[in-house]
Amino acid sequence: MTTDRWWRRRITPWLVLGLGIASLTQARPALGEDSPTQVVETTTNAVIAVLANKALSAEQRRQQVEGIVYEHFDFVTLSKLVLARNWKQLSPQQQDAFVAEFKRHLSITYGRNVESYNNERAMVTGDRREAGDDWTVKTKIVRPAAAEILVDYRLRQLDGQWRVIDVTIEGVSLVANFRSQFQEIITAQGPDKLIELLREKNDRGEPLKSDASA
Amino acid sequence: MGRCRLLALALIALAGLGLARGARAHTGGAEHDPLERFNRAMFWFNDRLDVYAIEPAAKAWDAVLPDRVQRSLSNFFDNLRFPVLLMNDLLQGKGNAAAIDYTRFMVNTTIGLAGFFDPATPLGLPKQNEDFGQTLGKWGVEPGPYLVMPILGPSNPRDLVGSGVDSVFAVYPWVVEFPYTIVSRAVDIVNFRSLVLDDVREAKAASVDYYAAVRAAYTQRRERLINDGIELSPEQQQDLYQVEE
Repeated sequence: MTTDRWWRRRITPWLVLGLGIASLTQARPALGEDSPTQVVETTTNAVIAVLANKALSAEQRRQQVEGIVYEHFDFVTLSKLVLARNWKQLSPQQQDAFVAEFKRHLSITYGRNVESYNNERAMVTGDRREAGDDWTVKTKIVRPAAAEILVDYRLRQLDGQWRVIDVTIEGVSLVANFRSQFQEIITAQGPDKLIELLREKNDRGEPLKSDASA
Repeated sequence: MGRCRLLALALIALAGLGLARGARAHTGGAEHDPLERFNRAMFWFNDRLDVYAIEPAAKAWDAVLPDRVQRSLSNFFDNLRFPVLLMNDLLQGKGNAAAIDYTRFMVNTTIGLAGFFDPATPLGLPKQNEDFGQTLGKWGVEPGPYLVMPILGPSNPRDLVGSGVDSVFAVYPWVVEFPYTIVSRAVDIVNFRSLVLDDVREAKAASVDYYAAVRAAYTQRRERLINDGIELSPEQQQDLYQVEE
């Protein structure tokens, strides 16, 4: 495929870093209120510390990163934004099921990438207050012998804590990307079908590469 | 060059006439895709072509050549794009980018041994990403409907015209004999594909509807490139982040 030059920036594998970086060290007690930038900054180092820790098995690293991400992502808001207008059509049970399966989908697909870590570093390059009291924290991932990757996090405050509600990698937003995928399925086939598709895909989910080859 | 200029002007005129009234791309929601049936068919065709021909070739390539060599080849082809980059920098009035691209070309062609190495990037001269589709976008030409082309992949009328103009200005096809340009194009494609083997596999695994995922990513990324990383408009932000409850 010749024109997909946007692949050149190698978007996908970095989503694990992207997802991971946006959160804080696991089980770190809240010391007052961290600003959005502090949340992203502290996290950056914490996730990279886990990824770089070769004393842990791949599965342990995956679990630790997952723990960090789960703590600092707002999956309910993320799900609402992804389903947009369709969210209200779901019954509370369907909403819960969707949030659970979507969360599992992200965890399975991006969790596999913990093994691709190759001495990347991340740094915050700026932040900005958005409409609706959200904050955007801009970061870049610096890789040895390869182009930088720009990753923006959008955070929203919930119960006094800043949580990530979207990740935009090289201009491609996670929310917009999944919204586009789910829109058609939900319109044509209904929410139950969407949840079922996600569940099937998750149940088929591939294991970590190292587990598969073992 | 008379012929090229005429062709370029014709294409620009075509773009101006046909696309100016094209629908706006919606970054946030479902993209404007009136040709979805055709697009999905083409996407399926391209995917089969990839799965049965290009990906296997790229895997073989990947098995034989070390990453270092693949990156060098990729640098070489990037360096050849210099005339296209320079033209588009200038057409968009980006003096600084034009200077960077000019210096990059000089440094990488000489110290970088005909472009196989990229000493310019560590010198603070990063690679620029420009093409004529972006130039048209900068000039206010709307993208028109999302369009998947056989073999060429994701595009839209604006970007398709852009690729046409860029290929006219690529210079080396006019200097090098035809069979060699075909071979070099094939090497470029297979080599590029080998560099993104994992990425494409991951992208497929990570999407529920791969077609829609690629469409969303293409649309957003093009828009972001045209604006050079400038943020979403307030309307787009509203659409994406303020869902009425």
